[in-house]
Amino acid sequence: MTTSALPAVRAPRRTARGSGSAHTLGRFLLRRLVITVFLLLGVTAVTFLLVQLVPGDSMTATLSETALADPEVVAAYRAKWGLDEPLLTQYGIYLSNLLQGDLGVSTQTGRPVLGDLLTYVPATLEIALPAMVLSVVIGTAVGLYAAVRQGRAGDQVVRVGTLLGLSTPPFWLSLVALYVFFYLLGVAPSGGRLSTYLSPPPRVTGMFTLDALLAGQWMVWWDAVQHLVLPVAVLTCLTVATLVRFVRSAMLEVLDQDYIAAARAKGLPTSVVLRRHVLRAGLVPVITVSGLAFAALLSGTVLVEQIFSWPGVGQYAYRAASGLDLPAVIGVGLFVAVVYTIVNLVVDLLYGVIDPRIRLS
Amino acid sequence: MRHHPARRRSVAALAGAATLALAGCTAGGSQGGEPSGDDGEAPSGGTLTVSTSFVINSIDPGQVYEATGALAVHAMYDTLVTFEGSDVTTPVPLLAESWEANDDATEFTFTLRDDVTFSDGSELTAQDVAFSINRLHNLAGSPSVTVEGLSAAAPSDDVVVVTSETPNPNVPTILAMPAAGVLNSEEATANGATDAEDAATTDSATAFLDGASLGSGPYVLDSFDPASEIVLTANPEYWGDAPEFDRVVIQNTEAQNQKLAIERADGAMIALDLSGRLLDGLAEGLQTSASQDTFYFVTLHQDPAVSEVTSNPEFVQALRASIDYAGLAALFGEDARPAAGMVPTAFPGALSEDEVQVQDLDAAADHLAASGLTDPTVSLMFPAMTYRGVDLATIATKIQNDAAQAGITIELDPQPIAAFLDAQSAGNVAFRFSPQSLNYPVASSLVNNFAPGQPSAMRSGWSADLASPEMIAAGDAVTASIDPDEQVTAMQEWQRLLNAESPFITLAYNSGTVVATADLSGADYSPAGWQVDLRAVGRG
Repeated sequence: MTTSALPAVRAPRRTARGSGSAHTLGRFLLRRLVITVFLLLGVTAVTFLLVQLVPGDSMTATLSETALADPEVVAAYRAKWGLDEPLLTQYGIYLSNLLQGDLGVSTQTGRPVLGDLLTYVPATLEIALPAMVLSVVIGTAVGLYAAVRQGRAGDQVVRVGTLLGLSTPPFWLSLVALYVFFYLLGVAPSGGRLSTYLSPPPRVTGMFTLDALLAGQWMVWWDAVQHLVLPVAVLTCLTVATLVRFVRSAMLEVLDQDYIAAARAKGLPTSVVLRRHVLRAGLVPVITVSGLAFAALLSGTVLVEQIFSWPGVGQYAYRAASGLDLPAVIGVGLFVAVVYTIVNLVVDLLYGVIDPRIRLS
Repeated sequence: MRHHPARRRSVAALAGAATLALAGCTAGGSQGGEPSGDDGEAPSGGTLTVSTSFVINSIDPGQVYEATGALAVHAMYDTLVTFEGSDVTTPVPLLAESWEANDDATEFTFTLRDDVTFSDGSELTAQDVAFSINRLHNLAGSPSVTVEGLSAAAPSDDVVVVTSETPNPNVPTILAMPAAGVLNSEEATANGATDAEDAATTDSATAFLDGASLGSGPYVLDSFDPASEIVLTANPEYWGDAPEFDRVVIQNTEAQNQKLAIERADGAMIALDLSGRLLDGLAEGLQTSASQDTFYFVTLHQDPAVSEVTSNPEFVQALRASIDYAGLAALFGEDARPAAGMVPTAFPGALSEDEVQVQDLDAAADHLAASGLTDPTVSLMFPAMTYRGVDLATIATKIQNDAAQAGITIELDPQPIAAFLDAQSAGNVAFRFSPQSLNYPVASSLVNNFAPGQPSAMRSGWSADLASPEMIAAGDAVTASIDPDEQVTAMQEWQRLLNAESPFITLAYNSGTVVATADLSGADYSPAGWQVDLRAVGRG
């Protein structure tokens, strides 16, 4: 029997393994690194330009009327933040500082942007990571189930469910979750990362659950876990709908392949067919979508963070944009770019793990 | 049909996830119900939770201007005098045990208590007070406008003399503001603070003061995150009666969530943003305290180069007559009132209810005819935001509809707050709408801002040349008044003239509101700027 994938399967050569593949991987990573540098440069340039185009500036948002009326104070402010230099010089200074790992100082918080990001990113990670894990597990299981049950009642229910999930605004779902689980049922906290009567654990990772575990503060750990539940559940609901759709369609495509029919004809148990043949072959597009969804979770949870009073990078970005805080806006832009770059890199590497044909080509 | 093992596993995975989620959902809430016996826990005196939608840049007293910052700074830093509860008419002693003014109200001598210590145990002296007031003045930050024309000196360790360039009977009130909080000058100087004339460019202490408190108040700073929370703890060295709570957590919470949270709270909770419609249907058992201290107004630019329409005095009067003030106030909620003049009713100097403005479409038509304008169209800029529970777009739409009844077409121009403030500062917006509070709780402070030629007036092109001699004289009469009663009368006359000829149309007064759980005492709304006096809040 032949399959359409055969030419690609024939591609491997012995030299592609061992030191050869390590060399290829090295070149691949180097190429990615170079592309990333240009990508980040592009992000800084575009963000810098866009912020200049927005009406208003950080000086108006920061200084008082009294201060704005005093030319000396205005001049000192412009000199302090480099606003008295030509635009290109300002950009050059920013890049020069960036090369030394200095993302500048936020005009709103008065603290280094890098320090701010290190404060707020772990908070976002703390809800994004479990949401992603749950989404992948649930999304894959439900998507596979719907594909196997294509056209039947279970499939229809899943399809309607995903449609609802995709069309539900995050803020609405967050508010409803709070209303039902906190207000009506009283089984979840109202928001924030920790109950107000508790102090955060000593900072190691910035993630309260992990830090509490490391410090052996069990009450803090349990409280932090409870505060995770609603935002994680909401993010999971929103992400899982996308994954289910992709998994379902990817699995349907694989289920139509001749080799699946052959495997079944051979008498292999359904569980083995699904696990070894369908799931593995259908995972490639799922990984792509999962990666993008994870990156979106890390960079786009503004509304959920706002409603659950979760001090993450989304809220920081919102505040920075509202206050025309240029260093913070660019800092967040760079963070998002780095996240997408890393996620895409990981996704590309995972392709190779799951499908050797991609690795070898 | 035979069940697929994969299907069973999928169902099992779903069930497992659901179980995990439910297992996590056992919390009672973020507030109240403090357990004991584990590390990370607050001290036994209890935690007061204050929920508010953060408006904050800094908790350096010399820079504090926004509501959330003032709330925290007032709890950490003592001032010479203060106000009790909702009353902002009579300053009461705090650091100063007595004070007196000279005859023309240009020099105020404050005698300090001798038992006050900072949170590090060191003694508070008159030098610290003078340093703090002069630093505030010279920083030229947002709150510096309140001490414009003032300077302080310390002739001895327990006497502070504050001098005003012009007669100003309101100096004690001004010095009650959180921005006039007294810093430990030695520690502050060691961390970059200065009270020199060039402090605006040389003082570098704000970053330090955003991470540590150097005051003598009942609370000290534990942590400050401008995005999420400010944690205060009781000052063990406090010279007065110890506060009832060991810990105060001011947390950043959306207004809608504040309502849900306080209705389910076990106790010891305050919400600060439940104004307007958000108060509708509030659970019984919660206590509320309010005071109408904010006014909402529109401004019409008086420079014909900016707008031929808004600079036409008859057009301004036509628009003024077209507004349904009562209907507009109703949109703010039960506590709101239609405006009579610019001064909200929380402050002495407000016009009486008999003088509330009313809609008069006939008069509007007459004024419009007199203006010579045909089918005038103007664009109304306003910040696209919800303020104190009220969506400003709703109010703008009402203005639009009222004006339409008088034949005036208004196009709405909502802007992000930063863009709005920028355009406002540039002084070239033809027609704008915004809320406004007082810099300090004295009505005459409005004269310093809105009289012809003053900063807010000039942003709408209303120079002294364009105002009548009566208008100028009325403003002068307010600032020249040393006697409080005389100043109130002068202030009322000034507002009547504002209604007759100014480019400002005051629409309604709205209230800040403190909502507190039933177990708390002292949770009164204060129009003084700090909203609620955390140092006075206790149990029972």
